[in-house]
Amino acid sequence: MATRQNLELFKEYIKVNISMALEYRFSFVVQTITMVLNDLVWILFWWIFFSRFEIINGWTMQHMIMLYALLTFSYGTGSVFFGNKSHLSSIISEGRLDFYLSLPKNILFHTLISRSNWFGLGDIIFGLTMAGIVLSIKQWPLFLLLSIISATILIAFAILAHSLAFFFGEASETARSLNMGITTLASYPYNIFGGAVKVIMLTILPAGFITGIPVELLYDFNLIGLLSTLGFAILFLTISVLVFYKGLRKYESGSMITTRI
Amino acid sequence: MGFTKYWESAKISFNNNLMYKADFLANSLFIGLIIFIFTNLWKVVYSTESGIIEGFTINMMIWYFLLTESIVTSPGKVIETFGEEVQSGEIAHQLNKPYNYVLFKYSSNISETILRFFFTFSIGAIIALTFVGGIIVDWKTLPFIAIVIFLALTLHFCIMALLGVFVFWMEDAKALSFLYNKLVFVIGGMILPLEIFPPWLAKISAVLPFSYVAYHPAKLFVMFSWDSFFKVALTEIAWIVVTIGLIAIFYNFFIKKLSINGG
Repeated sequence: MATRQNLELFKEYIKVNISMALEYRFSFVVQTITMVLNDLVWILFWWIFFSRFEIINGWTMQHMIMLYALLTFSYGTGSVFFGNKSHLSSIISEGRLDFYLSLPKNILFHTLISRSNWFGLGDIIFGLTMAGIVLSIKQWPLFLLLSIISATILIAFAILAHSLAFFFGEASETARSLNMGITTLASYPYNIFGGAVKVIMLTILPAGFITGIPVELLYDFNLIGLLSTLGFAILFLTISVLVFYKGLRKYESGSMITTRI
Repeated sequence: MGFTKYWESAKISFNNNLMYKADFLANSLFIGLIIFIFTNLWKVVYSTESGIIEGFTINMMIWYFLLTESIVTSPGKVIETFGEEVQSGEIAHQLNKPYNYVLFKYSSNISETILRFFFTFSIGAIIALTFVGGIIVDWKTLPFIAIVIFLALTLHFCIMALLGVFVFWMEDAKALSFLYNKLVFVIGGMILPLEIFPPWLAKISAVLPFSYVAYHPAKLFVMFSWDSFFKVALTEIAWIVVTIGLIAIFYNFFIKKLSINGG
């Protein structure tokens, strides 16, 4: 019952967010094209790099295209459908959670979905295009499943980082840096790192589960790899939700009166 | 007398930014992470090559990258600031004041930029020293390298200000900022020296202003020569003059079309 209500809410917000985006059509188109070009420049960088060096610890240009397909598609999906993941800390520290607290909906879910970041649409288009270039038809179901897992980890990490605002008051800059850090780590070949860094990338800064392991699974599938990636995503999301609600007990209302139009 | 207000604005901005050490530290630590990633990447690359790639040892490559990264990231969000002031209407207050809007922005930005540059470079230098070690630099050349870096930071600001002026018309600063940054990242040689590029692309990139923000100053730092110094410094000055000219033209053009709403 609750799941159905949440899905209904999700659907309604998608409609509202799309109509808001279409209200500013020019800006919407510019943002989408900009993000595609932005992602394309990274591919240009890796093309230059691999034109000169060809292979890095077993990774080739094709691996990098696969990595960017996964990263941009999952990041874009998170930004479009859970756009407030990047604004959670300012919502908390400015007392703007009051609005969500006063409604009979899942607070965290409602907060996350109530905004769309349309730069993400460019990422989605780019990710799907890159996937179309390197994937065979047989690989698509696995790609989509791995993208959902990556998006889940990215969203969970954002919730954790922004929840710091409950404990420290203001954490926007720290949360932004942490999120940029994990996305950056996830955008380089996973196997250039070793030892302790790899351990960190599979635990507290799980960039390895966002792109590194999924790319390797797409090339060389094994069930244990898939199950451990899926298991990690579920565990990480659970922890982030628990931390959010633990932090919520410390939340202080700003008593701010706002009007949502 | 005329420039006192800009000097005072630079001092105020410098002191304001000293107050936000945490913000500076977060930014510098992020740059530190990127330098750490590139150190790992280059270590893997150099393990399969002969020890020198296109004239660069691994230490030179990392210190080159440290300098480009410090220059490019230090000015902060110049284009976005223009955008925010246009969109919020703050620009109306700024244009009424008895100063040149763009010059005022430069004076407050450059002091913040220099401070951020030192923070970033210092943290990056610690990481570079820890993981690959130092490089040989002739101390006598450092003042001249500093001149080239200062000119690169000024050129970087001028290009962003030029794009910022276009926000008066486009009203979407983020898109312009994204694209410009990525151009400097790749075409400007921030991430890779132009020697790694395919020759045709290296030739094009070497003459564009973006490479005078990143590639040329950083290459001078790791491979100093007097010939290069004079060539780079003079070309930077030339590009600064050209961009200032373009700013003046477009600023006067767009300011007439700027519509300020509300009150």
